[in-house]
Amino acid sequence: MTDTVTRTSLESLLMSRSLSDPELMQASDRAPDYAILPDANVIKIGGQSLMDRGRAAVYPIVEELAAVKRSHQLLIGTGAGTRARHVYSLAAELGLPTGVLTDVGAAVADQNAQMLGYLMARHGVPVVGGSAFGAVPLYLAECGAAIFSGMPPYDMWQRVPREGVIPPYRTDAGCYLVAEVYGCRSMIFVKDEDGLYTANPKTDPTARFIPKITVDELIAMDLPDLIIERPVLELIRRARHVRSVQIINGLRPTLIRRALAGEHVGTIISAA
Amino acid sequence: MNGTSSHVGSSSAEPSFAAKDVPSALMRQTLLDRELVRPLERPVIPLLPWLHVVVIGGRSIMDKGRDVVLPVVDELRALLADYRLLILTGPGIRGRHVLGVGLDLGLPTGVLAELISAEAEQNGHLIAALLAEQGVSYLPHAATAHQLAVHLSASRAAVSNGYPPYELYEFPPEVGKIPPHRTDTGAFLLADAYGAAKIIYVKDVDGVFTGDPAAPNESPPELISRIAAGELLARKLPTLPIDPLVLELMAHAKHQKQIQIVNGLTRGNITKALRGEHVGTIVHAADSD
Repeated sequence: MTDTVTRTSLESLLMSRSLSDPELMQASDRAPDYAILPDANVIKIGGQSLMDRGRAAVYPIVEELAAVKRSHQLLIGTGAGTRARHVYSLAAELGLPTGVLTDVGAAVADQNAQMLGYLMARHGVPVVGGSAFGAVPLYLAECGAAIFSGMPPYDMWQRVPREGVIPPYRTDAGCYLVAEVYGCRSMIFVKDEDGLYTANPKTDPTARFIPKITVDELIAMDLPDLIIERPVLELIRRARHVRSVQIINGLRPTLIRRALAGEHVGTIISAA
Repeated sequence: MNGTSSHVGSSSAEPSFAAKDVPSALMRQTLLDRELVRPLERPVIPLLPWLHVVVIGGRSIMDKGRDVVLPVVDELRALLADYRLLILTGPGIRGRHVLGVGLDLGLPTGVLAELISAEAEQNGHLIAALLAEQGVSYLPHAATAHQLAVHLSASRAAVSNGYPPYELYEFPPEVGKIPPHRTDTGAFLLADAYGAAKIIYVKDVDGVFTGDPAAPNESPPELISRIAAGELLARKLPTLPIDPLVLELMAHAKHQKQIQIVNGLTRGNITKALRGEHVGTIVHAADSD
């Protein structure tokens, strides 16, 4: 099939079919994939795992990010953390819906982006958000990095979880989707554990470390707790650009540099 | 001191490594442990129980132009005295065009979602302009999410974008690159978050049919007047007047236990549906009758 034929059939399907039509979805699958920021790396700095620990954890990470941005373009996303847990707990108790929780939780990730932004200001790193996202290519070209708040903008349109009201798509999903939409080189989640374990290593001494795993294997294990938001796994499986992510320990900040260099220093979760 | 301090070389730094917690039921949780999150389950209160959401299809209504749009707008205008409405619009044919250009350029789903959403917004501006004399304005996403209550206290209705503000953060779909969260889904999620009294989808067919009502058939398809969302999905009908994702999401909805699909080409249908008459198709969540 020539390129012209493909394009013509896609266009006629677009004009005549429902957007849920299986044939149209298949035809759109054959469209080319253009990576918008192929040299950028998305680094997510955990909220509860790192920001909430204050300067003991954050200062060394800031130094490391300032150093590595000379050789790698960084889009630095922030998590929310303990204040989000408080406000989720309060809002849920008040009977408020997921959409409201999403909104108030986003403010916490915003605060963390703001704080990280002030700490990185002397290195010329700006905080971007909303329409300022359009200036990201300029910031990356000029100073090698930009900071953004990790919560996705779903607000009152957040998907509702099967049980309860905690927003299912939070800052892990938000950071991952930024990496995927821009076709970034890598997605690194910086947390306070060496990676993924079979249980929460903070509460379960029998937890075993998992160095490398596929999304399907991880879903099949049906672990009771997880270091990364569960719905992110499904997003990784469907991704066209960022087909694997690495989770590393930010309490050892030099791992950031090594992960950016392509070393396997934490847990790698891949689509297949 | 917590268990993670063993990762750190310098013992003098250890005390300050402890996270500064705000006490809460979810403190120190990943929020991913199902057992720990469950105790928070509470009935969710409807924020705007008097709200009626009316979704105006892009292809099915807006693209048909004056002859179809003006009577629909007239009907909505007449309803303002009795109902407080949130009118949401779809993108229609211009959305299809921009998807075609974007796909050809190799742009990702998140960018396609941004582009097509702008078309749904423009249709919203058109409807709002036609109702401006009655005090109706177009509200952007942020105002719809945060100031809808005050707008609907000042006016009987507001118009907004049916597309949800997923944009760059749209999910990659299971197959292909078409953005999966579109008008029908965005409207449903918003209606559920607000705990609206009702959501009505205004299309150009009488409801859900057993086959394609537009296709020439040996035996004409029949209208399904009432069906469970799960059963409708299981039938895998060749065409549906509603995005199947809405039917999937109905299972988790806190308030919207049913949706109604009516034909906007027949005058009076929107009014009947708002008054509780059974016109068109009612799709209900599995656990309701």
